[in-house]
Amino acid sequence: MTDARKLQGDKLSEAEAIERAKQGDAEAFQLLYGLHKRRVYSLCLRMTANTAEAEDLTQEAFLQLFRKIATFRGESAFSTWLHRMAVNVVLMQLRKKSLPVVPLEETLENEEEAPKKELGAQDPVLSGSIDRLRLQRAVDALPPGYRRIFVLHDVEGYEHNEIAAMVGCSIGNSKSQLHKARMKLRESLKTSRAEKAAKP
Amino acid sequence: MNCTEFQELLPEEFEGGRTAEQELHLRSCPVCSGLVTDLELIASEARQLQEVADPSPRVWAAIEITLRQEGIIRDAQLGPSLVPGRPRRWSMAWLAPVAALVLVAFGIVIYQRGPADSRLSVKQDTQAPPALTKLQTEKKTSTANEDEQLLAAVASRSPAMQAQYASNLQNVNAYIKDAEESAQADPNDEEAQQIVMDAYEQRATVYEMALDRSLP
Repeated sequence: MTDARKLQGDKLSEAEAIERAKQGDAEAFQLLYGLHKRRVYSLCLRMTANTAEAEDLTQEAFLQLFRKIATFRGESAFSTWLHRMAVNVVLMQLRKKSLPVVPLEETLENEEEAPKKELGAQDPVLSGSIDRLRLQRAVDALPPGYRRIFVLHDVEGYEHNEIAAMVGCSIGNSKSQLHKARMKLRESLKTSRAEKAAKP
Repeated sequence: MNCTEFQELLPEEFEGGRTAEQELHLRSCPVCSGLVTDLELIASEARQLQEVADPSPRVWAAIEITLRQEGIIRDAQLGPSLVPGRPRRWSMAWLAPVAALVLVAFGIVIYQRGPADSRLSVKQDTQAPPALTKLQTEKKTSTANEDEQLLAAVASRSPAMQAQYASNLQNVNAYIKDAEESAQADPNDEEAQQIVMDAYEQRATVYEMALDRSLP
């Protein structure tokens, strides 16, 4: 996590901040929030592609965490605990909005969103580099189901068995969705690169 | 193995565990090799997207207010500062984002007494200046009395914090005065009206925190 976890001088560590937060200390809560807000917010933003929604979900994730902080025993890393809670908050919210979390059998909203297969013709590679901004935009433009799995796996580092448990799908489905998300991104990035090259 | 067969197995086999047949195809097929290279690049670059931005200050403000309302945030602990570089003293910059939504009604009541007097003063500026002065004076007196009562409550429970809250009240009252003057200058300026509301919310925040922290 961040270097701020162990602070200098007479300031306290994250572990001590957690203990103080259990006693209701406002600054302890604020410190914990400051240490982890970026990671949580970025996760929410990547999953929803909407800043207002991401902020609401960030708020909800931290509130749930802080309400339960008295139960934290330190068996796992605090950041892991928080992160898992944030993922659950996001997924629950997306379910409430009736967005398809991961359709168990269906993978697409419509056929136009399916990544194309190009067999037999040589596909030019992405030249070994990807513009991060273009990648961010491409991820934001993914269909929600693809984006969710891609963010959880490739961005946040969850394994397929974890994703399957969180999202409520099979491991095979998680792998399939991830593959299609990557294929879709590859298409988007190549299109974007071609458009840029075509500009005078 | 042809490209179709290879690519159909790719979702399952992408992260390792390819058969010898798949490896052979990969070495011999530039199309599939290029595809796998691209997908691996996307997966590795995705990690860079992990932390992109901070949420706006309103998120923490809302969290803190809720935690206080629920009693999860209680007394501030005395001791070393937990927030890097943040002095223990309050400042207006810290107060600003922490709007006491729960006491907005309190602020609205005060505001209605205040701006109502101000609106009255604007309408009647050509009529009865003595009445306007009297209303403004009464409002100031009322505000001063409330502040005195609050500071007395704080002093009776946490004498060490009285001076700090006195300073905070002085600052927020000055902010209210400036905001009201701006609003009076142009009663149609909605932004100025909102600033007045915000100023009263900050005053309500000071009251809430003073009472919250001074209680045993």
